[in-house]
Amino acid sequence: MFKDSVITAKFKKRELTIALVCFGLAFIVNVCCVIAYSCPWVEIFTQIGFVIVFALIFYALCIVARLLALAVTRLIRKCRG
Amino acid sequence: MKDEKLIDRRSFLSKIGGMGLAGAALSAFPWMESCSPDRNRETSREKVRLGIIGPGSRGQYLMSFLKEIPQAEVVALCDIYEPNLNLGSEMFPKAERYTDYRRLLENPEVEAVFVTTPLDRHFRMVMDALDAGKNVYCEKAMAYTIDQCKQMYMKRKETGRILFIGQQRLFDPKYHKAMEGVVRGDYGPVVNVRNYWFRNGDWRRPVPSPEYERLINWRLYREYSRGLMTELACHQLQNGTLATGMLPEKVMGSGNIIYWKDGREVFDSVCAIYTFPNGVNMTFESVISNAHFGMGEQILCKDAMIDLPGSRIYRETPPAKSGIEQLIGEIEQGLFSNSVFAGTSWNPENASSDKGISIMPEADGDGTREIVQAFCNSCITGKMPPRILEEAYYGSVLCLLGDEALLQGKTLYLEDKYRI
Repeated sequence: MFKDSVITAKFKKRELTIALVCFGLAFIVNVCCVIAYSCPWVEIFTQIGFVIVFALIFYALCIVARLLALAVTRLIRKCRG
Repeated sequence: MKDEKLIDRRSFLSKIGGMGLAGAALSAFPWMESCSPDRNRETSREKVRLGIIGPGSRGQYLMSFLKEIPQAEVVALCDIYEPNLNLGSEMFPKAERYTDYRRLLENPEVEAVFVTTPLDRHFRMVMDALDAGKNVYCEKAMAYTIDQCKQMYMKRKETGRILFIGQQRLFDPKYHKAMEGVVRGDYGPVVNVRNYWFRNGDWRRPVPSPEYERLINWRLYREYSRGLMTELACHQLQNGTLATGMLPEKVMGSGNIIYWKDGREVFDSVCAIYTFPNGVNMTFESVISNAHFGMGEQILCKDAMIDLPGSRIYRETPPAKSGIEQLIGEIEQGLFSNSVFAGTSWNPENASSDKGISIMPEADGDGTREIVQAFCNSCITGKMPPRILEEAYYGSVLCLLGDEALLQGKTLYLEDKYRI
C-alpha cells in the first residue's frame, strides 16, 4: 500500500543549501533594517527570532516557486508529446 | 520565627530595600520608618491594648489586620448597633463590650483606640480619646469640618499622643515608587493630576427596619457625611500635593444628584478642579451611575503619564521598536491601510495605545496592613512619625474645601489659617 521513499544525499544537500541561503537572506534583511532604521547593532542577535521566522517564510516561498516550476515543466513536456 | 516571616513578606520596605531604594524611600516618605523591619523587630516583644469604636464594615477590615499583627491586642469593642458589636466579638471574643464610647475610654487597660464611625462623630470621639490620654487611629476623612480638623491637629500637639488618620495610600509601596520618580523629575514637570472614581450602584446598605436607615446608610445624609468628597476624594487628593510638593490655592466645581433620587442628601455626581499656585490643575470626578472608567489616579508629566493604582508609566515617546519590527509594520501598513486619494483635514487624536511599563510588579496590598502596623509600633515607642498627620490633615482639608465649593457653587480659596 505504501511505498518506501528514499531521500538521497543529493536531495538533502540541496535542501540544506536552500535553507541556508534563506537564512542568509533573512539575516541580510535584518542587517538592512538595522541600517535603514538606525537601530542598535545588538539587534542582529536580539532579533534572531524574527530572522528565523523570515527564513522559514523564504523557504516556504521557495517550495511554492519550485512546485510551480515543476508543474509548468511537466505541462510543457506533456503538451510536446 | 513567624513574626520574622510576617515582616519579610509583608513589609514593603523590605521589598524597596531589596531594590536598593530604602534610603530614598525613607527620605521622601519619612513616616515609613514607623513600619520598617527594624522598628517591627524593636516592638515585637510588646503589645498595645486596643479598643475599637465602631466595629462595622471598615472596623472589621482593620481588625482583620490587627488579628495578624503580633504587637496588637484588641481588649475592648464599642458600638451602638448590636449586630456590628456581635461581629466584632466573633473576631475578638475576649474583648470587653461597650455601647458608650466614653465608658470604653474610661477603661485604663485600653491604651489606644480605632475610631471607625460615621464622619460626623470623628471629631468628638477623637478629642475625647486624646483628652483621656489614648492614642488614636481615626478613619478618614479626619472630621466633618475644616475647623474640626485643625482643632484635632492642635489637640494632638497639645497632648503629645499618637494620632493617625486612615490614609492608607501614604503607606502603599506602589505609590511611593511612582512618586519618587515624579518628585525627582524623571518624567519632566507635573502638568496635570487626574483623579476619578466611577461606580454603578446606589451606595446603599440593606437595613433591617426603616428606623435604622440613617444609622446604617449614614453616607447618604448630610447630617453625617459629606458624601463622595469625604468618602472617595479624600483618598486621592493627596496625590497632587505629593506630586507637586505644593498645596492647591483654590477649588471650584459642581455637584448634583442626577440619578439616585431616592431621598439621599449627598451628591451622586461631582466634579471638582483644584488649582496649584503654578497653575497646574488637579481634578476629582465621581459618578455612581456608570462604572466604565472605574477608579483612576494619574499624574501627567511632560514626558510621561503615571498611573498610580495600575502602577505603570506611559512614556510620551515609547521606546522605538526594533528595525525588523518597523519593517513588518511598514509592510502591514502598505498591505492593509486604505488608499488615500486626498489628504484629510482632520485626524482623530486618539488616546495612546502604549501598554506602558510596570513600576513595581511585585507590590501587593493597598498599604492598610502597613499603616495599621505603623500605628501599633508608634503606640509602643511613643513616637509620632514625621509628617504623617500633616499629609492626612491636608487630604481631609482639601476634600472638605472641595465639598464646600460644590455646595456654594463658588471658587473657594484655602485660607492661611488652615495651613499648618
